[in-house]
Amino acid sequence: MQKVLERLLNLLAFLLTVDRPVTADEIRMTVAGYDRSSDEAFRRMFERDKDLLRGLGVPLELSATDAWEVEYGYVIPEDAYTLPDPGLTDEERVALALASQAVRLGGEAMESGAILKLGGAPGVAAGEPLAADLGATASLGDVFAAVSERRMLRFPYRDSERHVSPYGVIHRRGRWYLVAEDSGTVKAFRLDRMGDVALSGSPGVVERPPDFDLATAVPEAPWEAGPDDETARVVFDAEVAWWARRQLGSGVEISEASDGSVTAEIPVRNRDAFIGWILGFDDSAELLGPPDLRSALIERVRGTT
Amino acid sequence: MTSPRTASRLNRILTMLPWVIANSGATVTEVCERFGYTRRELVKDLDLVFVCGLPGYGPGDLMVAYVDEDEVVVEMADYFAAPPRLTGTEVLGLLAAGMAVITAGAGTPELESAVSKLRDVVLPDSTEALVVQLPDPPFLPELRELARSHQVASIEYTGLASGETTQRDIEPWAVFSTMGNWYVRAQCRRAESERVFRLDRIRSLTPTGDTFEAPAEVDTTLSYVPGPDDVAATIRLASGARWVTDYYPVEVLDDVPEALTIEFMASDPMVTARLLLRLGAAAELVSGDEVGMALDALRSRLEARYGTGE
Repeated sequence: MQKVLERLLNLLAFLLTVDRPVTADEIRMTVAGYDRSSDEAFRRMFERDKDLLRGLGVPLELSATDAWEVEYGYVIPEDAYTLPDPGLTDEERVALALASQAVRLGGEAMESGAILKLGGAPGVAAGEPLAADLGATASLGDVFAAVSERRMLRFPYRDSERHVSPYGVIHRRGRWYLVAEDSGTVKAFRLDRMGDVALSGSPGVVERPPDFDLATAVPEAPWEAGPDDETARVVFDAEVAWWARRQLGSGVEISEASDGSVTAEIPVRNRDAFIGWILGFDDSAELLGPPDLRSALIERVRGTT
Repeated sequence: MTSPRTASRLNRILTMLPWVIANSGATVTEVCERFGYTRRELVKDLDLVFVCGLPGYGPGDLMVAYVDEDEVVVEMADYFAAPPRLTGTEVLGLLAAGMAVITAGAGTPELESAVSKLRDVVLPDSTEALVVQLPDPPFLPELRELARSHQVASIEYTGLASGETTQRDIEPWAVFSTMGNWYVRAQCRRAESERVFRLDRIRSLTPTGDTFEAPAEVDTTLSYVPGPDDVAATIRLASGARWVTDYYPVEVLDDVPEALTIEFMASDPMVTARLLLRLGAAAELVSGDEVGMALDALRSRLEARYGTGE
């Protein structure tokens, strides 16, 4: 590991001071650690080193070495190596370090490397017994980068290729969503259903409407998103009324009968998700109408759909 | 040869150098505490830096890095005076972590200002472009407080599978959120064993005044440990139902483009039956007699309720 680290430090020191694109050949001839390697060994070593540096966040770009664009070389654009200093205090760094100990993205605990980049955190004690796993998908970092750089995104979704203007990323109900403008309409895309994402175009091109509100762009309940538009009338028996109330939230009209059962008028935009939710109440709830929604539920019970 | 260990060691060097350069006179203890070094590791990394530098690689080209008495000295390394930028994933991770803790009601003024400063730097034109929402079930603040102060709570709880409501005393060890729900891992004094309760199924909660000793390490993941009485079923999932594997600990028996075949374990066959009914045509029970019987019973109950029985 010693030799690799020395070579990487030398490579990075060279690229940060050279101030012009340098070809792989020049790097091989100039930077200590690459000398005396065969063509093939150099190629493999250099590929690995580039990957490792990029993985750390080093913006290693390929650019023409002169105006004729015959040769291409590597360059770290001025000011792109580091982030503007957010000016955190040590107390703020410790608070962030504690938060990143408590929160996981997917099963993995977060790397402490990010806190080190902000200047490290001295004296992080154990936090309170609280944890959250927000889940993760492979595309999360790229999608967020597109949002923060205001660049376009391309990805396959439900069997078609999308090219969208990202407006924001939201975590809700245990899932990550991208809210983006797709052919004139603002839509929410589930990150776990996206194929491989690719950033496209230059930074700063995406303009978010000034009145855009991310929190209202993704529906609260799964049955609130979809092509359908109807109002279901459901009666919940007394013993599950508390559970229905908790799940329905405040926007739904609910009336209580003297026996403790409640009747709710629920807006439905996704029949499938809604029927699934009602069936979760077993026979303690009954979908009263509209008639064809009720029939759809009965068909589901009979196993004919 | 280049492993994640190489990357994290290089990251630590590239973040330690700027801090030492900006804080001249920094002591070994300060640097070690801040960057998680032992003294030996720090000296080893400084030795490494000492033999690196700019082409020419003579005395005037190499960086200078050593420990003098108890002071860390770094010179001739101005090109490393700033740390590498955070990656998209790192920024998202930090912000999301901060926002999740704040949403959970556990934020401090320091955390709030840290999140807002970081957001101003990475999302200068659109600080509202990232939102993290966690559910807000009843008793979350109370349970957090009881877990922190090691106090026993008496809860009224309605089981998700059984629908039965019971009263029990629990020792709340840790509160955690995963897959869109909040849970508490606790010692249940009624069952005399470790249990996980979903917060939104807790009907009432009262501290008993008793205290308890919490274990040093508490698992804050939703790990499902199959019990001896668990019921197995083999289920075939069409593409619309593949999400099941993300939400339940299942074993994949066969995976072809048209369908995924899984083994689904549950403590109560009715749990599996309800899931099958929810999935409708997207799922098919291949084998599992008990689940099949539960599904028939569930269908009859629903047909009776809807007046559509034979």
